[in-house]
Amino acid sequence: MLEHVLNGLYYGSILFMIASGMTIIFGVLGILNLAHGELYALGAFSAFSIIGFVAGQVAAPTGPVTAIVFGVVVLAGSLATAAVLLPVGGALEAAFIRPIYDRDEVYQLLLTYGLLLVLTDVMKFVWGPSPVDLGVFGGINEIPTTELVGIDYPSYNVFVILIGIAVFAWLVWFFDRTKTGRIVRATAINREMSTAIGISTDRMFTLVFAIGAFFAGFGGAMVSIGPGSASLGMGLDWLVLSFVVIVIGGLGSLNGAFVGSMLVGVSSRVVTPYYPQLELAVPFLLMVLVLLLKPEGLYGAWGEIQ
Amino acid sequence: MSRFLVDRDGETHLRLAEGMELTKNQAVLAAVGLVALLIVPDITRFTPLSFTAIHRGILFGLAAVGLNLLLRHTELVSFGHAAFFGVGAYAAAVLASQFDVSSGLLMLLGSVLAATAISVLIGYFVAGYLDIYFALLTLAFNQVLYAFVLQSGYFNYSDGLNVRPDGLNPPALFGLQLSSTGYELVLYYLTVVVLVVSLLVMWKLVNSPFGRALDAIGQNRTRARFVGIPVEKYVWVAFVISGIYGGLAGGLFALLQLHVSPEPTLYAFVSGEILFMAILGGFGTLVGPVIGGVVLVYLLVQAPFYIEYYNALTGLMLLAVVLFLPEGILGSIPKIGTGLSRRRRDPGLLREDVATIGSSLRRGVSRAATTVRIIVFGVN
Amino acid sequence: MTTEPLAGTESNGIDRRTLLKTVGGSALAVALAGCTELLEGEQESAADADVPDEPIESGLQTFTEGAPSVLGIQAEYGAETAVRRINENGGIAGREMNLDVVEEGGAYLTNYQQFVDEGKDVTFGPISSSGHAEMVPEIEAQEVINVSTDGTVTTLYEEDFPDVTYSFRFQNHDVMEALAAVNQAVEVLGADSIDTYAGINPNYAFGQDEMNLFSQGIEKLTGAEQVYSGFPDLGTSDMSTHITEINGEAPDVVFSSCWGGDATLLLEQGHANDMFDNTELLVGTVLYGSANDMEEDLVDGPIYSGSRNFYWGEPSTDRWSPAADLVDEVQSEYGVVPTAHFMSGYGAVTAWATAAEKAVSLLGRWPEQEELAMVLENHGFFTPAGYHTMGSDHQGYSNAHFGELTWSDEHDAAALQDVNVFAAKNVSPPPGEISSDWIGSW
Repeated sequence: MLEHVLNGLYYGSILFMIASGMTIIFGVLGILNLAHGELYALGAFSAFSIIGFVAGQVAAPTGPVTAIVFGVVVLAGSLATAAVLLPVGGALEAAFIRPIYDRDEVYQLLLTYGLLLVLTDVMKFVWGPSPVDLGVFGGINEIPTTELVGIDYPSYNVFVILIGIAVFAWLVWFFDRTKTGRIVRATAINREMSTAIGISTDRMFTLVFAIGAFFAGFGGAMVSIGPGSASLGMGLDWLVLSFVVIVIGGLGSLNGAFVGSMLVGVSSRVVTPYYPQLELAVPFLLMVLVLLLKPEGLYGAWGEIQ
Repeated sequence: MSRFLVDRDGETHLRLAEGMELTKNQAVLAAVGLVALLIVPDITRFTPLSFTAIHRGILFGLAAVGLNLLLRHTELVSFGHAAFFGVGAYAAAVLASQFDVSSGLLMLLGSVLAATAISVLIGYFVAGYLDIYFALLTLAFNQVLYAFVLQSGYFNYSDGLNVRPDGLNPPALFGLQLSSTGYELVLYYLTVVVLVVSLLVMWKLVNSPFGRALDAIGQNRTRARFVGIPVEKYVWVAFVISGIYGGLAGGLFALLQLHVSPEPTLYAFVSGEILFMAILGGFGTLVGPVIGGVVLVYLLVQAPFYIEYYNALTGLMLLAVVLFLPEGILGSIPKIGTGLSRRRRDPGLLREDVATIGSSLRRGVSRAATTVRIIVFGVN
Repeated sequence: MTTEPLAGTESNGIDRRTLLKTVGGSALAVALAGCTELLEGEQESAADADVPDEPIESGLQTFTEGAPSVLGIQAEYGAETAVRRINENGGIAGREMNLDVVEEGGAYLTNYQQFVDEGKDVTFGPISSSGHAEMVPEIEAQEVINVSTDGTVTTLYEEDFPDVTYSFRFQNHDVMEALAAVNQAVEVLGADSIDTYAGINPNYAFGQDEMNLFSQGIEKLTGAEQVYSGFPDLGTSDMSTHITEINGEAPDVVFSSCWGGDATLLLEQGHANDMFDNTELLVGTVLYGSANDMEEDLVDGPIYSGSRNFYWGEPSTDRWSPAADLVDEVQSEYGVVPTAHFMSGYGAVTAWATAAEKAVSLLGRWPEQEELAMVLENHGFFTPAGYHTMGSDHQGYSNAHFGELTWSDEHDAAALQDVNVFAAKNVSPPPGEISSDWIGSW
């Protein structure tokens, strides 16, 4: 049972890295970004190139020490990958999203769907139509973690869970404790007021979109260094699941996205062995349940960052 | 003036029934459209255009017409219309493969009944919600259905069901067991009849007091409630009507494809496509969604045969619609029409158009470049 | 002639006439069998037949992008290679062949219809089993021959469409690889040591079909008991739940029909979660389909994989030059080693092309679809994989391959060793019989 829960937390952590971006983008910009899954996929593909390069500079791990070195290099590569998504996200926001803030939400959906399709083909152009696999998963698992406390569980999963928590902590810190974060929240609550006191809302919106892209890209890098591979269309299922998560948690709520991700992750993993036919349906049943009982979501934020 | 021609604001209108009138231009367009619909089978025989793709596009367009009742009038964005389309398609398939029903029309009846039932149920839960919550809730119900069908042996999992009562041949239409080509042709004209009747019904409906009440609900629910409109009940009814259109389209789709599986009928992205068809064709119009359906389906089905980057082609077209043709294809025709005639008089305007598009692209690029510069180098 | 086809080709022990007779009598058949060097100076046999000049138009639908393209692109390479060899050898009865390729995902019916609208003489594909099931009645209605590359669910021709005319399938169907897996497991562990088994299979008709047949076979041969059967979603991103369950149950044998990205995911997560310490043996029918996407560390452990009707190293390439030539050609042309799905494409084209040529020489003119379909029934032909027949049930029958997963430094890809070759009659019922009845009668 413990392992099933850990499996769920691992799955939930990846989900959170994607869903957190969606929820803050919705919370601040008011846009439901259908292209968010493609930013995640872009992260996975970029990780293949970037981490593939940096990991190639160090020797494959042979013992615990070299494994740790290897792990640090891979982590640095993941951060570099995510950093690439910052300007990409910013440029997408500035060029495409900015002109449509005042339009009906159907146009926002249509535009981001158009971006989804275009981004898919950009990745097809750059990395080709077939899946690509980074192949550092085995090396990361050489790093001793759970063996130290006498259980047997893949180190990679442990790292992903820890990183998921770290990302959550950083986001909370950023929005709660930093000046910029508070300004972003103020902008989300009242755009006119913020403009009046001299805040460039354009800047803030770009920043938020870029941060969202950063974490989606980071999530993609996590998947790429994991057991899976980067492939076209990999973003679609995660996109739909991210909807589920942010609705369960409350649109725009960071805490909600975190709890929602873990809830979806753990419940689907724990239920699967006993009721295999529910594997796919569990997240959606949860979502319907939450919407009917508490329509504003568990942390009912109604479009403000909390 | 005769019974069918009336004079309004100095213009002659063609009057079909109470509240259903067309201007001269609209009447001409409608007639052209109808003729075009009728000769599609002949056109496709002599051109490389694909008959099935157009037929399929019309069906999705019909579903989008239903969705547009919610989108245009109550201003509710449904992201779950594939639920009705899929249920309609599956109803026909279940009747054919599990109950040996051989009549296509009976299957269609089944589709409508099943879609009604499911939209009554979902509508009951969602009618009170607004905005993005309405969209996400409809999406959730849609995905629950999808997951349920995908896991169910009765619906044969992801493989789906054949719509061939005897295992090999298409169902009978009007009591006739037709050959493959004959079947396709008869089914097409059945589709055209269904489409035209559905459009007329929708037209009548939106011009009825009920339709006006929906408009009032769309503009301001509180005010609508204040003037005595039972808002939730009316939205529920509109939702069911809209679902019936989806189910009917789905049933016809089952008869056309003769095979129904979850992904092309029930997946959340099919819902998205139905929604985007309405916008693409022009959701401010009655017929726009049909045109959007034909165009989008045609792109999705045919583009892979001609270019490698077919997703990007569709994507760029959608971006262009959002940025340059917000009223959609049909909705922009009047504007394009006047624009064209003005440009015929003054060709200089054309240069301005190019300049406008050019500068808007340039602005986009420069915004993007500035942003990248700021993010990368941190300079203002 | 099944396990060591044409073993004497290198030793000059076989003369040209015998060879031609063996492979079907025509230069084209020899070329597609991969033995062109034996043909120097041979006359074109069907040259005086009355055939049209214009090239043959054909269409292939396959997975060209995304996760399933791991298999789909191999099939595309295979079909392209066959077409290239056909054209380099003067075409089919003098007619050149063109091949259009289109993405199959979600568009099986419309693709086939579009191909027919475009006037294709023949269509190939798809990979997807559900797509294939969807297409069969349409193929029968449109009456343009389709030779499916895969879409291998056993019940398709046994139960759903027992009487078809224009729809064919080249690749071995599921029962053959599932029973090859049973035999392989029994051979490795011994029937007495197999008491429990489990399965992880993709959640759709193919995965269920394979698991079902494997269960029947292994229970019949060993009396083993099923302790777990999981069906992760096709193209899933996480199988850890199922692997955790396997670790808990510690079955003697784990069976899997996961393919493409699912196969590598299973191996990656299996290793990371020490699954191979908790089971004696993993037999996977299509694991080797991902040979070009595996890292060296993945092939460690008691892992055996099927390779459908073709494994490039069997018979050994130093004894069987057609396979050696093919591996060289594929490596230089595409930079990969050919897998069974390469043969799916190659063999589907070859089946049709050799039958078409046979029909021309029988009729003295180009055949109608119906005539060609009749020739294809019970048609036998060679590829570098050996000898194949197209059964009267329209199912292709060839040897089934199964071996231990290992690593080839020479090709920098996964390889198989100690490959077992199972003749079709040992792992599948005769045409017309239902597989599960047949297994029941063992």
